[in-house]
Amino acid sequence: MIKKQYSGNARRARNIIWNAAGRYDFDPPFMSFFPDGKPDYYMDMIVGLADKWLDLQKLWEFFASYETERRAEEFDSYLWLGLENCLYEKEVQERPQMEQLRRERAELFFRMQEGLSRQQMEYQSMPVYTQQEARWAAVLGKRGPVLSPRQKQMAEALRFSMALGTEGVLKVMSAFLAEFFHFVPEASSSSRRQANPLARLILKREHRRIDRLIVRTGTGEGDHPKAVQQRHEGLGRHTGPSAEDEAYIREVFGPSVVSAAELRILENELCVEEDEGCRLWIASGRSPEHSENKDALEVRLSAEEQKKRNEAFLREHAAEAAEAVKKLSTRLETVFSSYFRPLPEPSRRGRLRTESAYRLPVLNDPKVFLQDGEETEPEIAVDLLLDASQSRMNVQEILSNEAYILAKSLEKTHIPVRVLAFRSLRGYTVLEVLKPFASKDCGGIMSYFAGGWNRDALAIAAAGRLNDDPALPGRKRILLVLTDASPNDSTPLAGSGGLLPREYEGAAAVRAAEDTVRALRSEGLLVGAVFHGNSSHLENVSQIYGHAWVRIQKAAQLAQGVSDLLLMLMREVRSD
Amino acid sequence: MEELFRFLEEEQIDEGLLNGVRAFRKEYPTEKEAEVRVPKPEYFYYGKKTWELALAALLAGKNLLLAGPKATGKNVLSENLGALFGRPVWNVSFHINTDASYLVGTDTYDGNAVSFRPGPIWLCAAKGGFGILDEINMAKNEALAVLHAALDFRRSLDVPGYDRIDLRPDTRFIATMNYGYAGTRDLNEALTSRFAVLDMPVISEADLQKLIARRYPQINPKICEQLVRLYGELQRKAESAEISDSALDLRGLLDAVALMEQGLTSGDALTMCIVNKSFDAYERGLINDVIRARIPADLTREVVFRA
Repeated sequence: MIKKQYSGNARRARNIIWNAAGRYDFDPPFMSFFPDGKPDYYMDMIVGLADKWLDLQKLWEFFASYETERRAEEFDSYLWLGLENCLYEKEVQERPQMEQLRRERAELFFRMQEGLSRQQMEYQSMPVYTQQEARWAAVLGKRGPVLSPRQKQMAEALRFSMALGTEGVLKVMSAFLAEFFHFVPEASSSSRRQANPLARLILKREHRRIDRLIVRTGTGEGDHPKAVQQRHEGLGRHTGPSAEDEAYIREVFGPSVVSAAELRILENELCVEEDEGCRLWIASGRSPEHSENKDALEVRLSAEEQKKRNEAFLREHAAEAAEAVKKLSTRLETVFSSYFRPLPEPSRRGRLRTESAYRLPVLNDPKVFLQDGEETEPEIAVDLLLDASQSRMNVQEILSNEAYILAKSLEKTHIPVRVLAFRSLRGYTVLEVLKPFASKDCGGIMSYFAGGWNRDALAIAAAGRLNDDPALPGRKRILLVLTDASPNDSTPLAGSGGLLPREYEGAAAVRAAEDTVRALRSEGLLVGAVFHGNSSHLENVSQIYGHAWVRIQKAAQLAQGVSDLLLMLMREVRSD
Repeated sequence: MEELFRFLEEEQIDEGLLNGVRAFRKEYPTEKEAEVRVPKPEYFYYGKKTWELALAALLAGKNLLLAGPKATGKNVLSENLGALFGRPVWNVSFHINTDASYLVGTDTYDGNAVSFRPGPIWLCAAKGGFGILDEINMAKNEALAVLHAALDFRRSLDVPGYDRIDLRPDTRFIATMNYGYAGTRDLNEALTSRFAVLDMPVISEADLQKLIARRYPQINPKICEQLVRLYGELQRKAESAEISDSALDLRGLLDAVALMEQGLTSGDALTMCIVNKSFDAYERGLINDVIRARIPADLTREVVFRA
């Protein structure tokens, strides 16, 4: 069901590195990205050139020798600045274009500097930043920052000569660290690190939030449980999900029902382009038994309370709900009647059931054939996807009630239905399975509660991909989204152009959802929306779902509205 | 024609082979009416070894199958060979619906009676031409069975309902095939065995530089060198399957130089002739990255070409 893909930006960075190196048979240990996730073209070239002119493996060993140090990232940034000079001078002889690329990179540095907020500036390591500023100013022939005598010496030392080979560069790098930081890398620290998994774990986490020039890459595959995310983040207000975030999500929503490996593969497929760096979590909808995290505990308590309120609301409106279920299921039967397939039953003629053939000679049972019986079964399965973001806060009881009516009616018509709730927080888009296909019990829907953001495009895509249920093969799938058509997330749009990330909101987020719905439709999924929101978002819902949506303002409209919507979707099947 | 001979001498092609070609030309001089069909090549094929193999095969009376990936100069070489031997050339582009009547000839009505309208293979056979069978593996193998007798030792062509004709001794067939194209297939053994097969090598950087410099003598050698290296880098990227080979286009590279000569900037010319050959936006990004690392986008004609 799932295929592996490299994320777009990481693959592009690799290509730039490979091209500069002139070979494609290695996995670069370093890559460089801008804060918005795009490859840093020039510095990626420098990484590639390090392989062309020097022994990248030996360099990597040197870098690895101090990676458990607190200042490892800072050292990386300095040393790459030094290498930049050396490699530039080596390469420019045979690639005159290097001069222009270097100038462009320097100009970009100063343009980015203008775009940084004060908070973002605080993230920077100032001594490194000063050295970078001095280097790029010199490239442009501008007046650089005022340097102290020590900083001047440092800048001078970082101008590694083009005459140096690998050994020479290593010597110069050691000398630099010794002189300015009194640091002597130990040859044995690398093996020590490998022996200590905890150190390695902490190490990886350190690398996730670096905001410097060069990012160390992880296993390179991205699907290793502890692999470093191949992104450069940290300047935005959201720094990408960390292990801490994962723990939080696990505490609140319980373990993922999809295995970690499958989840990672799903992420590799879906969390690309604008959703790059986002994570997915598919939860069972049952909260974990105990929790140590105080925040998570609070969330769970309020979710419990909400569940009680949902149930109370349903009890109060039990008669109306029963009426709505009756009306809707009658209508659904009419709508789907032509999509029911006859169930096979044993017969004296028809298709031979080989596994029962022995019964004929042995037991004199002639009914070893199958033919179409009178009982029928629909060839349809429905997914209800509930928006569970903060904006649904005031209508939680109504929404859970409506979802309950919908699910109950579908169950009554013998149409398999699954109910999912989605929300995004801390970079994770979480799908909670409130009711799986296999269960007939709709009580789980009462656990619905609102909170978090809604990254519609990713959630819809993920719901579309959850197609490995044994109930599904051979059935036409319908995805009904109960939505307010106002996608909004704290994790910005990745790779959206420009140097700083764009917010996930407004037109861009609506367009992302529109693209996802279009893609799912092209794969044969029927996608429709039950709109439940503000009139100001009516345009959004049309843009995302085309004609396939219906607006519901109260439960009484549900039967008419939803059956009309399903009829509209089923017509599409007929016209296929 | 003398220019081509001179070029081959410069390239140090075996003297014996060149003398063989001269003798061939003397024995089978170009007829006056056939002159219009003798190619006048715009580009010369670079590659000493390939030239020698091809000349030896043709002088020995064999037919040639030039097999190789895209942009290895198969058509350039076949046109060059036609020109060198001074033979009229019939170029037949094969396609999925190529059939016997298209190749050999068909009945037609000339106003009074039904008559035979000869096809390119028949004309080659009758007039001692060079038949270039372009992309021969695009056609169905069954359609090509009609060629078997023409291509082997029988050297004859039997047209049903008409006479059997023998191929003139100066007739040769040069087929080209590209493996890996969508829609192509392997040739069957019966057909392959009737050709001497020449595996076309990818043009070397030195040869490519000479090729561009010969066609555009005014080009700035430094820029020419960067273009050649760019081509090599694209080639490596295509070989490692990071991009498809749609952008790996020697014609495209030469066309880009032609457009720069017309006054386009290097960026526009390379975009039109190389980048846009790929229809995948992501792939175009990768190709652009390679170009950006070599060629500034704003080179003008004055910089690319010396006055």
